[in-house]
Amino acid sequence: MIYFPEEVVEHIFSFLPSHSDRNTVSLVCKVWYEIERLSRRAVFVGNCYAVRPERVVRRFPKLCVLTVKGKPHFADFNLVPPDWGGYAAPWIEAAARGCVGLEELRMKRMVVSDESLELLARSFPRFKALVLISCEGFSTEGLADIASHCKLLRELDLQENDVEDRGPRWLSCFPDSCTSLVSLNFACIKGEVDSASLERLVAKSPNLRSLRLNRAVTVDTLSKILMRTPNLEDLGTGNFTNEFQTESYLRLTNALEKCKMLKSLSGFWDASPVCVPFIYPLCHQLTGLNLSYTPTLDYSDLTRMISRCVKLQRLWVLDCISDKGLQVVASSCKDLQELRVFPSDFYVAGYSAVTEEGLVAISSGCPKLSSLLYFCHQMTNDALITIAKNCPNFIRFRLCILEPRKPDAMTNQPLDEGFGAIVRECKGLRRLSISGLLTDKVFMYIGKYAKHLEMLSIAFAGDSDDGMMHVLNGCKNLRKLEIRDSPFGDGALLGNVAKYETMRSLWMSSCNVTLKGCEILASKMPMLNVEIMNELDGSSEMEENPGDFSKVEKLYVYRTTAGTRGDAPNFVKIL
Amino acid sequence: MAECKGGGDRSPSSSMDSSTHPVLSTTSSGCQPARRDLSTDLHLGLSLSSASSLLAPDTKSIPSKPRNQVPLDWPPIKPFLKRTLTASARRRRTLFVKVYMEGVPIGRKLDLLLLDGYDSLLTKLCHMFKTSITYADVMEYHRRVPHEKAAYVLTYEDQDGDWMMVGDVPWEYVSSLPDKREETEDCKNG
Repeated sequence: MIYFPEEVVEHIFSFLPSHSDRNTVSLVCKVWYEIERLSRRAVFVGNCYAVRPERVVRRFPKLCVLTVKGKPHFADFNLVPPDWGGYAAPWIEAAARGCVGLEELRMKRMVVSDESLELLARSFPRFKALVLISCEGFSTEGLADIASHCKLLRELDLQENDVEDRGPRWLSCFPDSCTSLVSLNFACIKGEVDSASLERLVAKSPNLRSLRLNRAVTVDTLSKILMRTPNLEDLGTGNFTNEFQTESYLRLTNALEKCKMLKSLSGFWDASPVCVPFIYPLCHQLTGLNLSYTPTLDYSDLTRMISRCVKLQRLWVLDCISDKGLQVVASSCKDLQELRVFPSDFYVAGYSAVTEEGLVAISSGCPKLSSLLYFCHQMTNDALITIAKNCPNFIRFRLCILEPRKPDAMTNQPLDEGFGAIVRECKGLRRLSISGLLTDKVFMYIGKYAKHLEMLSIAFAGDSDDGMMHVLNGCKNLRKLEIRDSPFGDGALLGNVAKYETMRSLWMSSCNVTLKGCEILASKMPMLNVEIMNELDGSSEMEENPGDFSKVEKLYVYRTTAGTRGDAPNFVKIL
Repeated sequence: MAECKGGGDRSPSSSMDSSTHPVLSTTSSGCQPARRDLSTDLHLGLSLSSASSLLAPDTKSIPSKPRNQVPLDWPPIKPFLKRTLTASARRRRTLFVKVYMEGVPIGRKLDLLLLDGYDSLLTKLCHMFKTSITYADVMEYHRRVPHEKAAYVLTYEDQDGDWMMVGDVPWEYVSSLPDKREETEDCKNG
């Protein structure tokens, strides 16, 4: 192959679908490395601190699509202190200097400032798509810059970000010449929007396929918009409150009926039960439905809607649906592939209206189920064994029993056998979250059977270091391991240090690792950053046990070529 | 009212600790809970009775840590969802009810509008009080199938001042009560 002209090799590489394949060919020889790097269009950086932005930009000058992820996953649950890091600015600045052809930027769990958004808007003349997920640090003024200056913008997708509201001006900043919008999602914007601007924007965007509105948009505005978007495939509604006129809702039904391509629905903020029947005409064509923002609908409202959604593949719902409702889902939605059931009531600790029965019903009615996130108040080994037999195709299985360390509800035994069945039967399992009462035995099963597991989340589980060792030694494809409140200590941390270089990251909080253990790890493995975080109030733990045997509250270990990061706050110590 | 038979061996202690409620004080009993709280529409009571029983096995699990050590960063759901649900809770109509367990001066509170029937109410209360509870329908069933277990009985005091078993009035009527109407429900041995 080395005798082919470069253009031919480059053309062959263009058929490689995944980043990892392209990474692999670049290792073959210098010639291939050069050809590959000069023709690479898309780069995925799973940990923003694993590599310096300048290095990425220098290696891939033709970069068009950049994806960067910042904070560790447990940051979603307030386990990472604010100001930890994950800043977007160095990435945007480096790209502005080295890859002016950038077209798409996707960021997750990063801190993005308005200044960075302005720089982004002004630096890349061909910029087309901005996707920000679970980010923070910017305001609607930054969005105004994006709207004003990105003339070719196709996609502005803001998912669950914490955005400071500085007024609705941003939506009117799209120039008249901007007619290329395909996807607009501003569901996370907290404040008002100007309906007239929104209607104007939609009117001049004939290619709009995905539109997710925020809570401030009324039913009347929604109806007007929908009359202009006959090709819409994905809709996030505005609010559906009680204060409505029947005529408004009839207009809405009318408008919805024109959207023959509409397959996915979300939003339903504060939806009152009387509003729901107006959606019925759409239900038979829906493949995706997200009702997780609507605690006001009870089991009967939900089931009346969902029983009509016979083509449903993806359902996100609150536990108000109850086990009875899940039985209706199981008998109606035979194509279901992804189910998420979230807890709606935080005020009664450990309470939920769903149990193992709902999940067993789903598993027997929906054999195509491959992705699950399920919050419930109890589970049994028998149920998990049944579920594993019914649905061997799980790729993602995340079960959260709301009360930590809760045993099997029938037998009072640990749930080791149940989860063991899951990992044994589901040979393609890539992501797993476990909960309930669990001993080291479950980890023995995971290490033995979960050969394709890439991400494992552990909370309040295990008895000893052996548990964690089973996982580190057995799970050959493990990339991310996150552990909280489990009795794993230095023995486990140091038991297989080479493993961490094959993984993206390790998170341990409220475990038994000590400062001494972390120091040893850092000295043995210079290619890892070992970050420890203790509470800013001077951690009484450190004072009571001075010296190296004090317990580390939070530990984050990741492989990196970038060395120690210079932007760490003072509560983060990098060893 | 049915008299409690031999119910004394089951002390109405149940821990009412939770991450959102204060620890129960075991001192004074006997003082009646105040009824001036305008935000409460009903008072429910739990009273001890051995005449009834609950079929389901005791599914109580013993947490290895006391309730008030359940962390605040739990359950693991994203802040956006948590914020949305909390904001929704503040916006919508509620029907808060106080529930007292017999002999225990500090009660619990729950929103009836979040429940879809007496079964849900029972499940939730069993969870809150960590004990077996019965009401009208279930008592009738178990009179035919006698059992050993003692359980608490859910009662309420209606506007005439009579003590009634929960469960005879259709749920739709209960959950559509206008606000401010006080039907006090008291805990009683019986």
